[in-house]
Amino acid sequence: MKKLALAVALALAAGGTLAQEKTVRISGFGAKTGPVRSFGINSEAAMLAAADLINKGGGVRLADGSKARIVVDFYDDACNAEQGISVIRRIAGTDALVAIGPTCSNVAEPLFGILQKKVDDPGDTGLQFPVFTDVAIKIGLARISEWAFRNVPNEMTMYSSLFYWLRQKYPDLKTVWGGVEEDFAHSRTTWHVVMKDRATANNFQVLGESKWLLADTNFATQVREMKKANADIIAISAHPFSMCGALKEMQRQGVKPKVLVGLTSSSSLETLQGCAKQAQGMIIPTSFAPVNKEAKFAAEQTAKFKGTADLHSMAAWENMFILKQVMESERISGDKSQIQADRRKIRDGLAKLKVTKGLLGDTKRTDDREADKPYLFVQARGNEWVVLHNPL
Amino acid sequence: MDFYFGLIQLIGVHTLLGLSAYIVLLTGQVSLAQAAFYAIGAYVSGMLTVLAEWHIVPALAVGGLAGAAAACAVGFPALRVKGLMLVIATLAFGEGVRIFFFNFDYQIAKGDIKVGPLGGEGFRQIRFFPENGWTTFDVMLFIWLFVVLVMALLWWFDRSRYGAVLRAVGEDEVAAQSVGVNLTAVKVSAMTVGGAIAGIAGCLYAHYTTHIEHASFNVLVATFAIAYPIVGGLQSVFGTLAAVVFVQGFLVEGLRELGDWRNLLFGALIVLAMNLRPQGLFWRRGA
Repeated sequence: MKKLALAVALALAAGGTLAQEKTVRISGFGAKTGPVRSFGINSEAAMLAAADLINKGGGVRLADGSKARIVVDFYDDACNAEQGISVIRRIAGTDALVAIGPTCSNVAEPLFGILQKKVDDPGDTGLQFPVFTDVAIKIGLARISEWAFRNVPNEMTMYSSLFYWLRQKYPDLKTVWGGVEEDFAHSRTTWHVVMKDRATANNFQVLGESKWLLADTNFATQVREMKKANADIIAISAHPFSMCGALKEMQRQGVKPKVLVGLTSSSSLETLQGCAKQAQGMIIPTSFAPVNKEAKFAAEQTAKFKGTADLHSMAAWENMFILKQVMESERISGDKSQIQADRRKIRDGLAKLKVTKGLLGDTKRTDDREADKPYLFVQARGNEWVVLHNPL
Repeated sequence: MDFYFGLIQLIGVHTLLGLSAYIVLLTGQVSLAQAAFYAIGAYVSGMLTVLAEWHIVPALAVGGLAGAAAACAVGFPALRVKGLMLVIATLAFGEGVRIFFFNFDYQIAKGDIKVGPLGGEGFRQIRFFPENGWTTFDVMLFIWLFVVLVMALLWWFDRSRYGAVLRAVGEDEVAAQSVGVNLTAVKVSAMTVGGAIAGIAGCLYAHYTTHIEHASFNVLVATFAIAYPIVGGLQSVFGTLAAVVFVQGFLVEGLRELGDWRNLLFGALIVLAMNLRPQGLFWRRGA
C-alpha cells in the first residue's frame, strides 16, 4: 500500500513538473498541398528539427532566467491568399509569439497587407503580429508592413552576379532567351524584373521569352520558339514541376543552349528527382548548399523529420535560431498574459538586427526588413547540385 | 475572436458570390462568368478607393454597377445560346476578363511609391479598412449588411411575380414563352442582377484581402460560385448560405488540421452531401 502511495505521489509530482514546464510557440504556415507542397513540408521539417535541437540545448531563456521549450505547429495555406489570411488570423488567436511563412508570394502580399503598415500608428487597425518569412521570395514584399520580415535571398544581387560571371567566363556568348512560368508571382517577377534586366545590364542581348503556366503539361510550342531563337543562354524562371516539363520537351526537340540558367527556387531535390538527366549543367544561384559542417548538419537534422534541405527550408531553420536569439536578447516573459507585449518585443528585436548568422555565413539585414544573404552558384551534375563558383 | 470575425467575413463574401449565381441558376442558365463580374467589381472599386481615394460605399456602388453593366452586356449575346453552349460562352468571357486583368497596368505615383494594378503582379495595398480604423468586427458587420440586404432582396424576388417568372423560365422556358414571358428580358435581367451582386462581392473581397491578381478570379472561383447554390439547393436563398458555411467553414477551415486528408475528404464529403441531400442541403419536402 505504501508503494502504491509513493508511486501515486511521484506521478503527481512528475505531472506537476510537466504542468509547470514553460513553452513558447512558434507557428509555421505554408503550402502543404498543391504543386508546391514540398516547400511547406520541408519548411515544417526544418522548423521541427531546429526546435528539437534548441530544446535539447535547454530551450529559450526567458526574462526571469527560466527556460522555455519551443513548441512548433504548422498550418497548410494551400498557396491560397484567402486561406493564408485565415491562417494568420488563426495563429494570431493562439499563444504563438511569431509566425514563419508563407511559401507563396501571392499569399505573402495580401497577408502582409492585413498587418499594420506602420508600428504604433493608432489609425491603422491592421493585425499586429510578427511574421518572419522563409520562402516567399518575390522582391520587395517586406516593405508592405513593419511587422513583416524576410530571410530570403536577394535575387537582384544573385542574378546580377551570375550574369556578370557568365560575361567574364564566356565572353563569346551574346544572346539570352527566357522561359517563364507566367502565372506564378515569384517566377514571373524574377524573369521580367530581375533576370531580363540583369542580363541586359551585363551586355547580353535578350531575344525574347516563352511563357507557360504552373499547371501546364505541354511545352511544345514554347520550346519551338526557343529553338527558333537559337540563343546562347536559356534562362528558365520556373518552379521544378513545370521546369522539368519544359526541359524534357527541350530534350525531345533537341534544344541545347550553351548555358542553361535556372530559378533559384529550383535548386532543390525536386528538380533532380523530376528531371536530373535533362537538367544536367543547369546553373542556379542559391543561398544554400551543404558545403560546410553547419550546413551538412542542418540538412541531416532536417532529414530526420522527413524533409529535405534547400535554400527555402534552410531559411526556416535559420529563422528558428534567429528567433531564439531575439527572444533572449529582448527578454520576453513567456507569460501568456503578456503575449502581445512579447510579440512586440520580437518585432522590435528583429527590426534591430543588422547581421544574422546563416548556414553559409553572415547575412546582412537591410533597413526594409529584408536579408542580404551569402550565395553560391550551383550546377546540376549527376544526381546532385555541386558548387560551381563562390562569387563572394 | 479576430479569426472568427475574419472567417465570417469570408463566408459573407462567398455567400454573395454564390447568390450572384443563384439568381441566374433560377432561370435554368449555368453561368461561369460570375468570377469575371467579381473581378470587375474588385478592380473597379479597388482603383476607386486606392487611386481616387473614394470612400468604400460609393466605390462599392460603382463596383456593383460595373459588374451589372458587364453582365448585361454579356447577357444579350451569350443568352442567344443555352445549356452547354452558354457554359462555354460564359467560361470564355470569364477567361477573357481574367487575361485582361493579367495584362492590365494602371499605376500612379502616390508619395514615393506607385500604386494601382500592375498586370500579372496584381494590385496591392487596397487597405481602406485598416487605414480608416475599421476593426475586423466593423468589417464583418459591413459585409454582412450587404449579405442580409441581398438575401432579403432575393427572398422578396422569390415571393414576387418576378420570382415566379424566373422559376417558370427555369422549369420550362417553352411553356413560359407560350404564356407571354419575354425570355430575353428575364434572362438578361437575372444575369444583370447576378452581375451586380458579384460586383459587390468582388469589391468586398478586394478590400478583405488587400491584394488582388488575375489568379484570384480563375475558373475555380467561377465553379465555386455555381457550386454553392447547387450544393445548398435552389429552393431558397438560405441554401447558398448553408453551402458556403459547409464548404468554407467546415471543409476548408474546420478540416485544416487534417493536412493532405483534407483534400480527399473535401471531394468525398461533397459527393456524400449531394447523395444524401440531392435537392440541396437546404431542401424541405413540400416547401
